[in-house]
Amino acid sequence: MKYPEIDKYAELDSLIHRFDPRAKIITFTLLIFSFVFIEDIRIAFVSLLFSFFILLVSRIPFGFIFNRMKPGLIFVMPFLIVMPFALDGNVLYSYNGISISYDGLYYGSLVVIRAATSIMLTLIMLGTTKMDTTMKSLHSLKVPSPFVQTLMFSYRYIFVFIDEFLSMWTSMKAKGFKVKANKHSLSIIGNIVGMILVRSYERAERVYHSMASKGYTGESRTIVKFKMQTADYGLAAILIGTVLIFIIYGMSLS
Amino acid sequence: MHISDGVLSPAVIAFGWIVSIIFIAFAFKMAQKQGSIAEQIPKLSVFTAAFFVASLIHINVPPTSVHLILNGLLGVVLGALAYPAMFIGLVLQALLFQHGGITTIGINSFNVGVPALICYAVFRKGSGMGLSKPAIGGICGGLAILLTTVFLAITLITAGEQFEMMAKLVVIPHMLIMVIETIVTASVVAYLAKVKPELLPLNKEDKK
Repeated sequence: MKYPEIDKYAELDSLIHRFDPRAKIITFTLLIFSFVFIEDIRIAFVSLLFSFFILLVSRIPFGFIFNRMKPGLIFVMPFLIVMPFALDGNVLYSYNGISISYDGLYYGSLVVIRAATSIMLTLIMLGTTKMDTTMKSLHSLKVPSPFVQTLMFSYRYIFVFIDEFLSMWTSMKAKGFKVKANKHSLSIIGNIVGMILVRSYERAERVYHSMASKGYTGESRTIVKFKMQTADYGLAAILIGTVLIFIIYGMSLS
Repeated sequence: MHISDGVLSPAVIAFGWIVSIIFIAFAFKMAQKQGSIAEQIPKLSVFTAAFFVASLIHINVPPTSVHLILNGLLGVVLGALAYPAMFIGLVLQALLFQHGGITTIGINSFNVGVPALICYAVFRKGSGMGLSKPAIGGICGGLAILLTTVFLAITLITAGEQFEMMAKLVVIPHMLIMVIETIVTASVVAYLAKVKPELLPLNKEDKK
């Protein structure tokens, strides 16, 4: 279990780092939502290249991005592996009644390319801004306050509970516990989960009282002010223009 | 269990987001009725984080490794707030660990959140009838995964006939998770009933 250090490289300086966080969230969300519905594999591939270009501009180390992309890509790999065999269509290759279809390969690769594009863009969006700035800009984008606050506090408590879980885990291991897929082991894991919940329940009470005593009323207050510069408008216009070009070109093909 | 970006059609994605937003708005409304929102937010956040970390526990079942979903337990403990907790959990999964997709957060929350709500109802009903809490908890744990699997398969099939085979294949690992979650949830509920009974929904006798 590792800390989710998503904003490890947020201190670097680049065009994307300086981009206004609110404009960044809106434009990148638009990019993701338009790229994942691309039907044509060639356009999808160009959108992947485009995302890679933004990655180059953002100067985030490749190793970081590719390591982070792995789990997401492992999730979609089954599509690429299964679909060529499962779909009927033009047969590319056939051996002993097992055939690989062109359609299956096409859809499988399309899914993987779309997923890779979306993950890469998400990583660039989050990797170039400090997480608390991202949360504050969600707030200034008028996302309902209870929701943003819950998201922000949950994010912070994840680190606390990872620590808490690891200390319990260390003590379990010190007593000779090994995880196996049997009933005993699973019920011990159940007890650990129960313990995390009991601790979190007690912590929640303390957290609420300490927050209330500092004047927390459910409103979120922030002293950060965002201001859009000319460069921000320019970059936002370029990115939204790119989205439109992809959509119009995609439509002209179909 | 999570569906990644790039698989589903716009209609399914839109359905997921709309239903999720309605459920979350409704859950926060209900929470506001029970007490001030200032009190609910910190508690919900702490629980969401706790469940998030619990779902990072991996269990090795050769040749693969599965992680806990715990949506049944979440439903039992949080009630209507299980849906927003699950949604936020999935947002954080997608943003921090790149599990699942961004566009699919809505439909993924639907697939795990609705079973959680159903489990809450089942647990209340069951414990009201005087059944043993660990037993009914275990049933909820398994039932939640079963329903999630059914929803997941339906989602994949509606996404297009090319995904029919995938829909059949996802069922196999989920049967394994179902067994694991049944045992784990039963054990968590037994533990909570002993140590912190107020975390479980009260039945009629307890209310007196």
